[in-house]
Amino acid sequence: MPTKLETVQLSAFYAKKEAIHEVSLAFPEKTVTAIIGPSGCGKSTLIRCLNRMHEVTPKATTTGEIRLDGEEIHALDPVSVRRRIGMVFQKANPFPTMSVYQNVSAGLRLNGVRHRKELDAAVVRSLKQAALWDEVKDNLDGPGIRLSGGQQQRLCIARALAVEPEVILMDEPCSALDPIATAKIEDLIFDLRQNYTVVIVTHNMQQAARVAEFTAFMYLGKLIEIDRTQKLFENPAEKLTEGYITGRFG
Amino acid sequence: MSPATERKALSEGLDKLRENMTTLAELASLAIRKATEVLEGEGAPDATAVFTLDQEIFALREETVKSCVDLIALHAPVARDLRRITTSLEITTDLDRIGRYSRDIVEAATRLQAVPRNTPLKLPKLHRMSELTIQMVDTAIRAFVDSNAEPVRNIIQADDAVDSLHDQVFLDVVDQMADRTMESQVGAQYILINRYMERIADHAVNIGQHVTYMVTGRRPWRPSSPKSES
Repeated sequence: MPTKLETVQLSAFYAKKEAIHEVSLAFPEKTVTAIIGPSGCGKSTLIRCLNRMHEVTPKATTTGEIRLDGEEIHALDPVSVRRRIGMVFQKANPFPTMSVYQNVSAGLRLNGVRHRKELDAAVVRSLKQAALWDEVKDNLDGPGIRLSGGQQQRLCIARALAVEPEVILMDEPCSALDPIATAKIEDLIFDLRQNYTVVIVTHNMQQAARVAEFTAFMYLGKLIEIDRTQKLFENPAEKLTEGYITGRFG
Repeated sequence: MSPATERKALSEGLDKLRENMTTLAELASLAIRKATEVLEGEGAPDATAVFTLDQEIFALREETVKSCVDLIALHAPVARDLRRITTSLEITTDLDRIGRYSRDIVEAATRLQAVPRNTPLKLPKLHRMSELTIQMVDTAIRAFVDSNAEPVRNIIQADDAVDSLHDQVFLDVVDQMADRTMESQVGAQYILINRYMERIADHAVNIGQHVTYMVTGRRPWRPSSPKSES
């Protein structure tokens, strides 16, 4: 499996406070990698570094490298980085004044796509990929904000997919959803691995076990262990990992 | 339920599982000892005690399997907790089979005693084999109860010794039947007992290997598994 995205000795800071410390982590192409760890361990900061969202925060800086297909992302235009590396957040955040159609096509329109046929095709493709098409196809002009929580999250995934990213980052995408909506998103993540490299931050260890081929465990800003998910949950190499996943922490 | 409460419930469930498994192992060990006493006609052998033990093992196994499934369903255990539960599930089958073979030995011994013998029995190797087998079962059980893979490190070598004795006993019985110093109906029972004993030793090996996995997380390699036969 070739590496799609990787960090090399990556440290991230909020002013002088170090949030992650020299993390070197490779994300293989077209696989799902889960990042787990207790609150404050730096997992969200890590994925926000991966598409240069971290640097948007005032006084936030990084050291080390992040490579996308071998290219250092800080040498690339941040807008193009974010188009190639999409992000889905913990709380679904559809644009409140936009319809379903407008939400999905927003990224493309921002990138200058104007042809209605091209936009139509992208909207249909993205909604189908996000497993939302059947539920919204008769009301594409309805407001995105009127959808249920689970549907809104899939709408946000469709919006991320519309610009045809190569990597999708997900920060706790199911934490606000009920088990049925969660199952739909998990099925979707399972299917996305056919075409995309997915990195998912989750507090739900069973979710990591269900959707990810690789799982990384972080603690106090450091990467403690990464391994195939089955191996990590059956026989972790590090005592810290064992303590965390079995609930015998501290 | 908060994580701390959930953890407490899982801990209590694992403690109960450990208790049940220890009892189950003790019952299986007792069954094979009693079966050997019946076979060798020591003291006042009690065949029915082994039948009762076999039933108790079966019942406790059912209860233990259910508690393992409950723990998995309710707590989604991982790492060493998961390995302890799956190992317990595997070992219950081995302990159940040891109980069943002990019962089979007693049944064969009972049939044997019903046959009038013309000559005194000379099968010291079978006696040695039963001693080694009991030793293997005890070692494997102790390793499980103590969560220590060290005592079972050489269990395959011990099994090789039992296998070798099994082959020798088989040939001895066949020879004695051929030269008519042993009646065929007596020989047939000894061949069965010989086989049951050898299978019990195989289950001790299984237990040893499961314990190694439980403790280390690595599955020990074994050229061939006896499981397909039982």
